[in-house]
Amino acid sequence: MMHYLKIWLASARYSVVRTLMFRFDFFLWAMVELFWMSVNLLMISVIYQHTDSVAGWSKYEMLLLVGTSLLVQRFLMGFFWSSLFEMGRNIRSGHFDFFLAQPGNILFMASTRKLDPDGLMNSFVAMGVVAYSAHRLGLHPGALDLVLYACMIFCGLIIHYSMLVLTISLAFWLTSAQGIEGSYFTLSEFSRLPREAFKGLASVLFVWLLPVVVVSNAPARVLLHGFQPAWVLALLAATVVWFTTAVFVFNRGARRYASASS
Amino acid sequence: MFASLTKYHQAFLVGLQSNLVYRMNFAVRGFFSLFHLAVVFILWGAAFAHSPSIGGFNFGQTLTYFLVMLVMQFFVGAFNEDYQISEEIRNGLINQFLLKPINYFLYRFSIFLAARLVTGVLVLLPLLVAIPLLKDYLTLPHEWWRLALGVPAMALSALIQFSIAYCFGMLTFWFLEIQGFVILSMAVESLLGGQMFPLDLMPGWIFRTAQFLPFYYQTYFPTAIFTGRIDFSTAVQGFGLQLGWVIVLLAINQLLWVRGLRRHTAVGG
Repeated sequence: MMHYLKIWLASARYSVVRTLMFRFDFFLWAMVELFWMSVNLLMISVIYQHTDSVAGWSKYEMLLLVGTSLLVQRFLMGFFWSSLFEMGRNIRSGHFDFFLAQPGNILFMASTRKLDPDGLMNSFVAMGVVAYSAHRLGLHPGALDLVLYACMIFCGLIIHYSMLVLTISLAFWLTSAQGIEGSYFTLSEFSRLPREAFKGLASVLFVWLLPVVVVSNAPARVLLHGFQPAWVLALLAATVVWFTTAVFVFNRGARRYASASS
Repeated sequence: MFASLTKYHQAFLVGLQSNLVYRMNFAVRGFFSLFHLAVVFILWGAAFAHSPSIGGFNFGQTLTYFLVMLVMQFFVGAFNEDYQISEEIRNGLINQFLLKPINYFLYRFSIFLAARLVTGVLVLLPLLVAIPLLKDYLTLPHEWWRLALGVPAMALSALIQFSIAYCFGMLTFWFLEIQGFVILSMAVESLLGGQMFPLDLMPGWIFRTAQFLPFYYQTYFPTAIFTGRIDFSTAVQGFGLQLGWVIVLLAINQLLWVRGLRRHTAVGG
């Protein structure tokens, strides 16, 4: 465990040094992420200019939900996105060999190589959106609620990570499918919607089969309504199932990997 | 004249073949666009459940808007042309075009047209799934002028989309990495191009300002014509502005190409 922590810290140090070397890039990417977040918030704002309620959620409840979803996504972008995005390219180009030769778990080595400080910076903006919404709603969560919220955000991060690993692992089978990573963003759109909006088949698919709704709704509900055992258990179960599936599929894919280099 | 067209016709055919290699990518993208439509249906369905009319339009009209917008993106949207141009500049592949009697803009535009033909056909796949499910909601106006004005507006939109992508590709002459610029521009385009929500739902002054920007004419303008969100006089006025933006962007493209080539160093043999 300590061995992996040391490796991760070395990668983090390398990423920070690299960011300091390319300061304009850091600024530009921070702006890019900030702008995308603003676009999502603006959409909520525009919809609520024309209506008071979406599936029973008020404007600030919805902003709290979207803020929570963005927070999980910012952590994913900050901690894993660059490494996983490159993993897809490396599988196609044959550069994935490099990770197979390293002394450690392949998935860990391949998915923690790079950190993006710009994504992590914007997680503070997402936290600001959650805090502002909570303030406008007059919420005063206790310390335990906040700890539970943080734990659920962590579970959400693992679920998003697993979804991305699953998507990118497809590159082991579909080598010509470039840009397949983008499909993750399509699925993550669902996490900005309240559970009550899903009905019929959509409810079965996006609430029960895919973890895209529970990942944001469960933590948001802790702040809005306090501890709700059913949501906490649903999130924990989804975390275990999706992480196990992602590791299994990745390992099966890695076995198929035949390299492309000479 | 015809001999000159033949070489771009050949470029078009090469583009068609190379894009057919990536048909799986486009099909996957088309499949995932169904999920985007599902998000639209769920979110806007929930919003309309509380207010039967939003911005003067009902749920069916709003859903039709998003479906036409999706088709528009596949038919006229620039996918990764900026990256392709950037790669050709960075790897020195444009050197060959400097020595041949071929216009690089027209060469790339021929390939862009071929790519849109492939993606335009492939968008029919998700539509075949979506239309039977949504047919009770879809509603299109029947005025003939919408088709007569919408189709040329769509063609000009394609030119604007490509010109903007071309501009970003040209930035490679000055910057090593353009990905940040491209994704920032995607955010602006998805907002001001009306992909996130119909632009007429924004506060009046923002909407009026957006009408003077090129992003408005990328996808929103033809979509709004087809789906009845703008009237005849606004459409004619907008068509004039769209034509103006095409000329401005073509001029910027040419300027960037000429200025960029002055900085370009062709290395290798």
